[in-house]
Amino acid sequence: MKLSISNWTINQKLALVVGVLGFLAVFAGSPYKGFTSTVDSQELAAIVEKEVDHVSPEELAGWIISGKSDYRLVDLRKEAEFSEYHIPTAESIALPSINDGYLNRGEKIVLYSDGGIHSAQAWFLLKANGYKGVYILRGGLEEWKDKVLFPRLAENAPPAEVAAFEKAKLVSTFFGGSPQVGGAAASSTPAMALPKLEAPAGGPVKAGAAKKKKEGC
Amino acid sequence: MNAPFFKFGLFGDDVSLIVAFVIGIGFGFFLERAGFGSARKLCAQFYLTDLAVFKVMFTAIITAMVGLFWLSWAGFVDLSLVYITPTYIVPQVVGGLILGVGFVVGGYCPGTSCVAAATGKLDAFVYLGGIIVGIFVFGELFPILSSFYESTPMGVVTIPQYFGISYGLVVFLVVLMAIGGFAGGAWVEKKFAPKVKES
Repeated sequence: MKLSISNWTINQKLALVVGVLGFLAVFAGSPYKGFTSTVDSQELAAIVEKEVDHVSPEELAGWIISGKSDYRLVDLRKEAEFSEYHIPTAESIALPSINDGYLNRGEKIVLYSDGGIHSAQAWFLLKANGYKGVYILRGGLEEWKDKVLFPRLAENAPPAEVAAFEKAKLVSTFFGGSPQVGGAAASSTPAMALPKLEAPAGGPVKAGAAKKKKEGC
Repeated sequence: MNAPFFKFGLFGDDVSLIVAFVIGIGFGFFLERAGFGSARKLCAQFYLTDLAVFKVMFTAIITAMVGLFWLSWAGFVDLSLVYITPTYIVPQVVGGLILGVGFVVGGYCPGTSCVAAATGKLDAFVYLGGIIVGIFVFGELFPILSSFYESTPMGVVTIPQYFGISYGLVVFLVVLMAIGGFAGGAWVEKKFAPKVKES
């Protein structure tokens, strides 16, 4: 075996090059960089107008029940509110750190907050940073409570509504909520207490807090 | 100019199909030139007499890996926009085993069977027929299989994220693995070389 590089075969030389590049990679740091990107205001306006960036609470409930994992559900509220109650599978990311690299630009991201304002602001921040698949939970946690946790059936509802309510009841029970029948009861009745975090029994639901630990690179 | 070009909107859906076509032709061409249009060559991998499949594939992997790492480090590629398939660990292990068994039995993998069919190999046409029947059966049975198909979801994970080690270290380890594999492969080929040379 001759040591002089000029006697090496082309394969050996290529192996040397890739070996050196690989070795240097150890010291190069993370290849993920923060990219600045320009905002196409017309494109964004079109998306807003067509409302293609919305996910309804019923849709989201369906995804969670079927154990879909091709999206990230992000809770933008304060940590304390998150630990009190959050939608199963959600992870807590505060609005100021939304661009800190917890999320990948190619991922499907569903945002929610109490209402819709914080989600909309986070949506814009992410869009401006080149994130593609950003969605907002329509109506935020409020509508999640109204439609999924505590669906309500009016006393003299038409049969179509009754049938839909039967399905909503199952979904509500899955998430530990309580379906409401009858007139507009005060929203503070004890029956409508938010489910405990452990309540959504079984199924493919994962703890959001444990998931977050794996983030970051 | 930043890549991925499609994600940054350099071209639309229509042009992306043309780009995919050109890349596909290139992929097929190099598979053919590597000799992968022949089931004999591919099966030699499993008899350890010719590790060309291992060498070509691993070379492609480390070239792409080192290239992506340094291009994105230099700011030409936004790695977070590159699509990563979500991991469903058990179904994907089972799928990998099925593909491996099919590879050994049929003598092709899906890509190389297309290459071999393009050069007129009859066994490749039979193999392609099998693929189409398989796709049809799988599609029809999907409602039954879907609960398994979507089981053990881990979301989008990468090795550096999962093990909490740096990206560069993984790059280096895979490069070491490849170089070790190539050296070991040359030794294995010598050891298992057929006594009588095939025509």
